[in-house]
Amino acid sequence: MEITETTQGAKAVAILDGRLDTATAALTETRLLAMLEKGGVIADLSEVRYVSSAGLRVLLKAAKQAKATGASFAVVGLQAPVREVFEISGFDKIIPAFASRAEAASA
Amino acid sequence: MAAPAFHLRLPATLQSVSELLDALEAYAEAAGISPGVSARLALVAEEVAANVAMHAKGASFFQLRVTPGPQFLDLAIEDDGPEYDPLARAAPDTEAALEDRDIGGLGVHLVKELTQNARYQREDGLNRLLCSLSLAA
Repeated sequence: MEITETTQGAKAVAILDGRLDTATAALTETRLLAMLEKGGVIADLSEVRYVSSAGLRVLLKAAKQAKATGASFAVVGLQAPVREVFEISGFDKIIPAFASRAEAASA
Repeated sequence: MAAPAFHLRLPATLQSVSELLDALEAYAEAAGISPGVSARLALVAEEVAANVAMHAKGASFFQLRVTPGPQFLDLAIEDDGPEYDPLARAAPDTEAALEDRDIGGLGVHLVKELTQNARYQREDGLNRLLCSLSLAA
């Protein structure tokens, strides 16, 4: 998993590249939660072809922390298999998902 | 044309889970399995294998067999840990609000939803999870 930080408007963007799974969950969680301490975060998953329940746990934790601190957390660019996992898990109803970073930033 | 079979046996460690996923990705690509099915295959394998690696005290190995048929991939995942039926776990509440969402049981829920005919057997000191994965995208 490679995580690159950038910005879109006033929001921080974490570009994730790789599998978000058991092996990469801890690293990803640390980075996302650290970014969320400074404000809203958009997680760009365009290069993530795979999210397992360990990865979902990380995204849930980030969304919960964002809600607790009043920051925003959204995901963008879900590939079809990742979208499927989101829908089966009901995550599409609790984590805002957008097609692009620009859409997420202006939401 | 049926794709070749896959079999891999690894020590029951978290490092092995990554190794299994890498091997499955390479297998799926070589076998011409679509990216969507390949992702489901990896997910099912990871959820079961990671569960064994993290929770099955005393398990020394897990192994995955994939046997392709015309419409389905038949999966068999075995480990030598204590008797444990992962399918017996209650389904999570996928309608709960964000604050109330708990992540427990989600892996098994994904396995059940993505596969057909998931079933558990205990035989010869092994836990065996069998299921079929549709090759239709």
